[in-house]
Amino acid sequence: MNEQAGTTGAGMGEAAGGDDGTTMGVADAAVIMQEASDRARRQLRVSHRATFTIWGLGLLLGYGSIWLTVRGQQPFHGLPPATFAVGALLSSASIMTGVAQAQADSGVGGLSAVRQRIHLLAVLAGFAAMFALEGALAHTGASRSVIGVFEASAPVLVAGLFYFTTSAVWLDWPVLGLGIWLLVVAAVGGFAGPSGVWAVDALAAGLAYLLMAAIEPRLRPS
Amino acid sequence: MNEDGLDPVIHAPARLRIVVTLAALRDGDDLSFTRLQELIGLTPGNLITHLRKLEDAGYVTAEKNGSGVTARTSVALTLAGRAALERYTTALRQLLDSASSRLLSPHRQQGKRRLGAPRAPTALLPRAPSA
Repeated sequence: MNEQAGTTGAGMGEAAGGDDGTTMGVADAAVIMQEASDRARRQLRVSHRATFTIWGLGLLLGYGSIWLTVRGQQPFHGLPPATFAVGALLSSASIMTGVAQAQADSGVGGLSAVRQRIHLLAVLAGFAAMFALEGALAHTGASRSVIGVFEASAPVLVAGLFYFTTSAVWLDWPVLGLGIWLLVVAAVGGFAGPSGVWAVDALAAGLAYLLMAAIEPRLRPS
Repeated sequence: MNEDGLDPVIHAPARLRIVVTLAALRDGDDLSFTRLQELIGLTPGNLITHLRKLEDAGYVTAEKNGSGVTARTSVALTLAGRAALERYTTALRQLLDSASSRLLSPHRQQGKRRLGAPRAPTALLPRAPSA
């Protein structure tokens, strides 16, 4: 057993015998409390660094590649819908895997885990609604340009709302900042047109995610 | 309760670590037995022994879910456990403060200013756990 506090603290002779066969002074107890508290706060928090990195790279490389494919198209005919669907599904799967893995690694269960699952469902529902809406747009005769802007902006919009609501649950200010930024990118990026929106979103949203991944450990309480 | 006001159930190094670690969780959360064991650094047998004492006092709950390879034992601090830790922290702080006063008072009486006089490590104490 790892009992380090077998001696009384210097000058703090308030030693008391623990019934596990050790003697612990009040100064020792204070040190143990501080160490255990620090360690628990550091190690029990769920890190979203992997998820931020996956999303950041996904946006930067995925949206960047799409922009390279569609730029200069005259008239704009965009991506094959199947390509878009596969990309979105892969993104959803990677988020779910990342979050579930982070949760499992932390060992924390209970209400936090339930909230996390509901949030994941919210993302999936958001993406499902997005596909349905895209179908409705196509069905009502929206042009390829309109659908192109929608395809680029809607996932960023869903992600922005996801982080916005997440921050409300956890009072997580850096995540709130990310959510607001993504909503701004989703709202403004479309003005770059059906080709340019992919480049704007790749840079503005992708780099924001990578920035979050880089600074996340320093933003959390230690 | 000890004569110095410290709860003997908590006032043992291993159990103090267990209770403080569980108090770092949010309300309604629990921690897997395996993860708790990693964080505390005890053998499974020792951890079970200490958890049983805490459970008998009503400070923690341990619940087993699932079976076979999916079995997971989760441990959580109860409201009574959280309250007991708050009382323990308060008592500890008072003891440290009084010890500090005793150390400093002879120098005050002699009118001497002693640089670097030892201070009680109350600053080391974590903030009282939030409910």
